[in-house]
Amino acid sequence: METIGADIVIQVLREEGIDVIFGYPGAATLPIHDRLMNSPIRHYLMRHEQAAAHAADGYARATGKVGVCLATSGPGATNLVTGIATAFMDSTPMVALTAQVSTSLLGQDAFQETDIIGITMPITKHSYQVHNVKNLASTMRQAFELAKTGRPGPVLVDLPRDILASKCELAGERGASTLKMNGKRAETPEQIEKIARALNQSERPLIIIGGGVKLANAFHLIRQLIEKANIPFVTTMMGIGSVDAANGYNLGLIGTHGNELANRIVHQCDFILAVGTRFSDRSTALIEEFAPLANIAQIDIDPTSIGKSIKINLPYVGDIRDALTALLPLVNEKEKSEWLQRIEAEREAAEKKIANGSGCGQAGDFIRKVQEAMPGETTVVADVGLNQIWTVRTWKARDPRSLITSGGMGTMGFSLPASIGAKVGCPERAVVAITGDGGFYMNIQELATVGYYNLPIKIVVINNGHLGMIRQIQDLFYNDRFNTIDLGSKVDFVAVARGFGIPGSRIVVDENPQSGIEAMVNTEGPYLLEAVVDPNNYVFPIIPPGRSNIEMIHDRLD
Amino acid sequence: MLRKVREQEQTISILVNNQPGVLSRVAGVFGRHGYNIQSLCVAETTNPEISRITLTSESDPDFTEKIKKQLDKLVDVQEVIDLTGPAYMQRELMLIGVTIQQETISEIMRAIQMFNCRIVTMSPGYYILEATGHPDETAAVLGYFQPFGVKEINRTGAIAVNRKNPQRQM
Repeated sequence: METIGADIVIQVLREEGIDVIFGYPGAATLPIHDRLMNSPIRHYLMRHEQAAAHAADGYARATGKVGVCLATSGPGATNLVTGIATAFMDSTPMVALTAQVSTSLLGQDAFQETDIIGITMPITKHSYQVHNVKNLASTMRQAFELAKTGRPGPVLVDLPRDILASKCELAGERGASTLKMNGKRAETPEQIEKIARALNQSERPLIIIGGGVKLANAFHLIRQLIEKANIPFVTTMMGIGSVDAANGYNLGLIGTHGNELANRIVHQCDFILAVGTRFSDRSTALIEEFAPLANIAQIDIDPTSIGKSIKINLPYVGDIRDALTALLPLVNEKEKSEWLQRIEAEREAAEKKIANGSGCGQAGDFIRKVQEAMPGETTVVADVGLNQIWTVRTWKARDPRSLITSGGMGTMGFSLPASIGAKVGCPERAVVAITGDGGFYMNIQELATVGYYNLPIKIVVINNGHLGMIRQIQDLFYNDRFNTIDLGSKVDFVAVARGFGIPGSRIVVDENPQSGIEAMVNTEGPYLLEAVVDPNNYVFPIIPPGRSNIEMIHDRLD
Repeated sequence: MLRKVREQEQTISILVNNQPGVLSRVAGVFGRHGYNIQSLCVAETTNPEISRITLTSESDPDFTEKIKKQLDKLVDVQEVIDLTGPAYMQRELMLIGVTIQQETISEIMRAIQMFNCRIVTMSPGYYILEATGHPDETAAVLGYFQPFGVKEINRTGAIAVNRKNPQRQM
């Protein structure tokens, strides 16, 4: 068989250690799909390209490796867009491969031609269109390097069909990198000394852990820092699990849907060490009143994340591991202080306000029971909406990569396909996809993928028959004028699952949740558990739009 | 967020890979952050693989730092240089089409001499003038001729270079 461009694509995938890709073929991808037959790379055939992107994303989040998705030109490529944007917002290392019409047809509105480079420009770190097979290997290599380097993110490589099919030799050795290293500028040691001094002198310090801690593999260092100096910490949604949620210094999630204690302590602390977070509006609520008493130090590899939305007194641009390694020896060991006692008092007061510990009602209790029934080594993939907040506030993430969700983009329909990626990436771990009924509909076709590959994913559909989070907003802020949120109760999800070859059962969480949970846990292979909850089961406290972190509301009448 | 406070015009020079699509990435950064590009000029540098984009944009206090960081993230951007300030000299070329009448011709001829303009071409009752200089000067030229009936103008936008030897090939 003569070597063609597609062989180079596979050659570089192999070089990069890629053994799995998620894709969907089309006429233009066929050179690759044909040559994949000769390679050990497993290709998971999804049922929609959007799901291929989410699966690659879930794979990358679960493993820390680069996720790869592959789609054909035109609609295949545009279907990836939501998945690429989701990966971009949460800084997932991903390489998206799209086939393209032949170079001679480019710009002619050929069949299934679309300008995917133009479409994805604002949602990729970079994108390449290959015009000469001689540049194919170097472009592919650069794409992988870029996806992993600095602040990770998706990179798209658009591959015209004639380039994939053109005869060529396999690529030679990888040359020296020509990539401009972004965000690799090293800060001076003085900057770390300044941060250490400010931390040591502070009376009420707090660490904010963002998603960057996972991306930088800095879990051990951050835990050492917390335990050495007895510093309490809060996390953003993306930071959950970086340190075991059961760690006594964990005050919970900050932000509009965060824990009351976490938000109150942010408001009271006098020093914040923010690690790998960009201070998104969801984390800060009203930015002008965020952490009014705190001197803020920020460590981030992306210079544009520093001080983007908030004034930073002590910035550090660079790798989190480098920064924490330098910081650790300079930080004083501190005894349990007055500050920690004050936090304990706050914790008790906060718990009293919410009758039910998590503020997530029956759904929260149910998710807790699901976690108790699942093995310790379980990865949970939450969708978006109330189910996401219930999950992130209730599930005690023990390992850094054990809680996966679409934070920045808030993509409904993420959890089922992302759980496929998580399961394929970490087959030894149990995987639970938690979704609401709304998000479930958005990628429901992936039940076919789960069934076809017999992936033992436990799918929990929390069904309130409504778009619950929107319902809560209409209830609280639109004078309970409910509109366009009723999804109805006519669909039999268990029958739907059965139709896809997946067993399941339906429970009402207020009646008999345990039987369903047990059936799910005890069934080998995939399982769908439909859990019916009351549509009035909301999330409290929350911060209304335009309010500060401490202006939380605790119930409908607040 | 679209910024409201526009203080001064900022001139930035961006050294980029001389490849298709790069200008659109650069322009996208400005658009996404709510800045309008006032003028734009692109040309090859002494190294044909590198182009130089010189542009001016309305700025606000955050402009230089934020835009520079964002541009630096683009793979095809090699260097971003702030050309605002006395260390750089700026020039612009402008073509002005102005109507000429019997009563105004002598005053127009005097102004052409005074501003060091060139008459590039003429037809009955209509001159095309060429003016070069700092953008403030070309603006003054335009302002002067406007009352006589300016029908068309085209400006290159500012280009700028170091006043001193940059000590490297650019």
